[in-house]
Amino acid sequence: MSAADITPDVPDVARRPFTGRRVHFGDVMLQSVAGLAALATTCLVGLIIWKVVDGSRLSLDTYGLGFVGRIAWNPVAGREIYGAASFLFGTAVTSFGALLLAAPLAMGVALFLTELAPQALRAPVTALVETLAAVPSVVIGLWGILVLGPIVRDHIEPFLHSTLGFIPLFGTPGAGSSVLTAIIVLTIMILPIVASISRELFLSVPHDLKEGALALGATRWEMVRGVMFPYARGGVTAALILGFGRAIGEAIAVTQVIGGGVFIHWNLFDTGDTLASKIAANYQGATTRLQTSSLIYLGLVLLVFSLIVNVTAQVIVRRSAKKQGITRGGRA
Amino acid sequence: MTTHGRLGGPARRIDHLPRRKAVNRMMEVLAWLAAAVAVGLLGLVVYSVVRRGWGALNLDLLTKTPVQFALTPVKQGLANAFVGTIVIVGIATLVALPVGILVALYLNEFAPPSVRNVVTLVLDVLNGVPAIVIGIFVYGLVILGGFDFFGLMPKHNQSGFAGAFALACLMLPLVARATMEVLSLVPNSLREASLGLGIPRWRTTLSIVLPQTVGGVVTATVLAVARVAGETAPLLFTSSLVGPQVSWNAHHALQSIPVAIFELSESADPADHARAWAAATVLMLFILLASVTARWLALRSRARLTSR
Amino acid sequence: MPKTGNSIRIVIALAVAGALAALAAGGAAAAPAKHSGTTITGAGSTFVAPLVAQWIPGIGSAYGYDLQFSAVGSGAGVSAVTARTVDFGASDAPLTSDQFSACNGCAQIPWALGATSVMYNLPGVKNLLHMDGPTLANIFMGKITSWDDAAIKKLNPSVNLPSTKISIAHRSDNSGTTFNFTDYLSSVSPSWKSSVGSGVAVNWPVGSGGKGSSGVAAIVTQTPGAIGYADVYYAIHNHLSYFSMKNRSGKFATPGLRGMQAAAMSDQKPAADNSLSIVNPPKKYPLAYPISTFTYVIVPLQTSKAADMKKFLFWAVTKGQAYGPKLLFQPLPKSVLVVAEKTIAKIHT
Repeated sequence: MSAADITPDVPDVARRPFTGRRVHFGDVMLQSVAGLAALATTCLVGLIIWKVVDGSRLSLDTYGLGFVGRIAWNPVAGREIYGAASFLFGTAVTSFGALLLAAPLAMGVALFLTELAPQALRAPVTALVETLAAVPSVVIGLWGILVLGPIVRDHIEPFLHSTLGFIPLFGTPGAGSSVLTAIIVLTIMILPIVASISRELFLSVPHDLKEGALALGATRWEMVRGVMFPYARGGVTAALILGFGRAIGEAIAVTQVIGGGVFIHWNLFDTGDTLASKIAANYQGATTRLQTSSLIYLGLVLLVFSLIVNVTAQVIVRRSAKKQGITRGGRA
Repeated sequence: MTTHGRLGGPARRIDHLPRRKAVNRMMEVLAWLAAAVAVGLLGLVVYSVVRRGWGALNLDLLTKTPVQFALTPVKQGLANAFVGTIVIVGIATLVALPVGILVALYLNEFAPPSVRNVVTLVLDVLNGVPAIVIGIFVYGLVILGGFDFFGLMPKHNQSGFAGAFALACLMLPLVARATMEVLSLVPNSLREASLGLGIPRWRTTLSIVLPQTVGGVVTATVLAVARVAGETAPLLFTSSLVGPQVSWNAHHALQSIPVAIFELSESADPADHARAWAAATVLMLFILLASVTARWLALRSRARLTSR
Repeated sequence: MPKTGNSIRIVIALAVAGALAALAAGGAAAAPAKHSGTTITGAGSTFVAPLVAQWIPGIGSAYGYDLQFSAVGSGAGVSAVTARTVDFGASDAPLTSDQFSACNGCAQIPWALGATSVMYNLPGVKNLLHMDGPTLANIFMGKITSWDDAAIKKLNPSVNLPSTKISIAHRSDNSGTTFNFTDYLSSVSPSWKSSVGSGVAVNWPVGSGGKGSSGVAAIVTQTPGAIGYADVYYAIHNHLSYFSMKNRSGKFATPGLRGMQAAAMSDQKPAADNSLSIVNPPKKYPLAYPISTFTYVIVPLQTSKAADMKKFLFWAVTKGQAYGPKLLFQPLPKSVLVVAEKTIAKIHT
């Protein structure tokens, strides 16, 4: 290849998929192999979706969409009937509950780390929070069973019931396994992710905007409320959605602490069940094909939910990163 | 700062500064409080685990194998789980790393924009599939369906390979996305200069562009390994029917640390709990080490790239 | 080509060192197991798992087999052997006709006899409180919620029962022990039978779920006022109290060897599929413990390991039974043993 081969009036010559006259075998090889990898990944995702749909086919045919709305799960022979509603409710309550608790805490941590903390504290606390994002769910579940459960049962539930017992949320206290324990466990799991993404977003707010607000006489809180929050709003929303998505899909830690049960109730101190934790508990050893298929149907519902939530979050993140014009060297 | 009003008393502030200052104060206090609660909670979990696990952390844990239903207390450990995790995560990394890099290369260097959008969406979707669904997918594909990856895995059987495949599905989007980011940080001028010197595309990509990304790729891999080493759900159905002995052979089902912790957590025996805490401590120490390493590598590679 | 830098090398060196260290640890840990080359894998019932755990060294020294058993619950064991992921499954619940056809040529062989104890955690109160079927059913239906309820007091007039709340612990996974327990409750309580029924998994009206017999024992151990059910080994091993249950003849029996033996006398002829039902035996067995059960091994009749499986299973139902009494498993009665051996002989390649 000589210098004359590079036509100077074609932009992005470095990035063009090769369609040039001089075709190197190496170029063909690399592009094919890389393309194959991308194709394989696409096929993998297609296969996952197909397998889940195919596995739930029996239950889909038997119940159709009514499955999603039915509050029932009875595997006893002769009275078999399955439905996803109670698990959907459990997933919603635990995930929203976790989001409700984690969001203000995460915002507080992020603000603390970007605005309030003394310089010396920032690095270690940031490191702590980011490392905790990777604590495995089974460890938090272990802690939930052995440490949190008894504390919730012996101290938190009686206290809440005695002070706020008129609210149906805080009804009769139960044993250690409860929806409340699951909510706390999920909060601990999603807190680090939301906090560290929010922190990075707050850090990316341009200094001149912040200082401009302060120079105009705004108090720090007014600057945060008027400049930082609006600027980072898209990203923070995405972070919250991402945390929510993580909470929806959590099977292990939830199944360890939530206790199981097929009903819809408002008492946080009762046991409950979610889509993911039901699958984890009962998938091995389902006795009939209908039961197995119904469990996979639960997985399908979970998958649909999870994809909507997670893909939305990731799209928002990508779009807000683009909007902030993060400069890149080799790609638009 | 008070000024004198017309009738001699302090003026009414029209900028409401005292109130605003009070609100500011309150918000600061709330933020401090929230941070304290959050950090305290997270720190409490870590402290709880380490405090309970430290005592049971001994060489036995790493070198002895588990004994179920021992009639008399016997020295046992989780050696099979530690070895199994190394094997399964190792194989998963060997699979996910090259595929992830290739996908990123394709998306960043070769793909037309429409294809790039589709495959990026595919990666987002893969990242959004819950781990338990990946578990039932691999179970259905490999163990029920008998797909043996052209002879690589045992048919209709649980195996370390099946578990590794499930973990690789989780790692792939993480590695691919991070590699894409680092690839995009490599300045175009480098590519153009190389092509200008007559080096073919493939050589440019492999010898000039890719080495610039090593730091970022290693960082991402380390983080992905740390994340995936603690995943239980994908292994529950694919590599859980195991024996107590240590095995490096991925053709059988291998025990893994998270599955072992999961099983021990549901036991009534305090000795089992002690081992679970100890294994959890080791896992957390490993993740801490990996995170610190990853962060240090990231700083280094970012410094190198942006200093050009 | 730009240098990758010393730091990367250091990282790689550390990783390799770490891997080598792990290898060394693994090598040290590789227990010098007696390898005859044959591994027999099984999965299933947590009920019989303590007994099978004692068979592992036993069969190892008898024939050199490497026996592995994963206690994942009866339901999971049946699924595993149906998928031929393991060589045998263990289930306390007899297979349904659907499961037989899915398993495609499997035999069901009774290989142990045990009892499900109803364990409780009530600090300050003695072991072996009295309990009867209908009251127990009401407790598990959530109709009786505290320990000083009149029904419980009536059965234990001399005991000072506290007003602690009753918490229920049941199985969250598919369990043969659940089948045994709910089978019993269905036979003593018509309202349980109509509202809940029996099976390896049921729609529990109240309670928290634990995974495996250990999981139930764990909940009972950690929750004052809790009641749960599991094979009696788990109650004893975890120092939990258990009820003395009223049988049909009006006597109170404990889940001991004598109670199991008496209950087993009520069904001495296995059915065509080799299943036996000894739950809530009739009046003429005054010593019977009413929640006893046989437990079965599920094995494909045609297998490449036929010779080894036959040797293993013959050993299990004869010599293996000797390991039972210490763990509260009663050796198989003669009539059942004969049927078991006849079925084992049918295993072929």
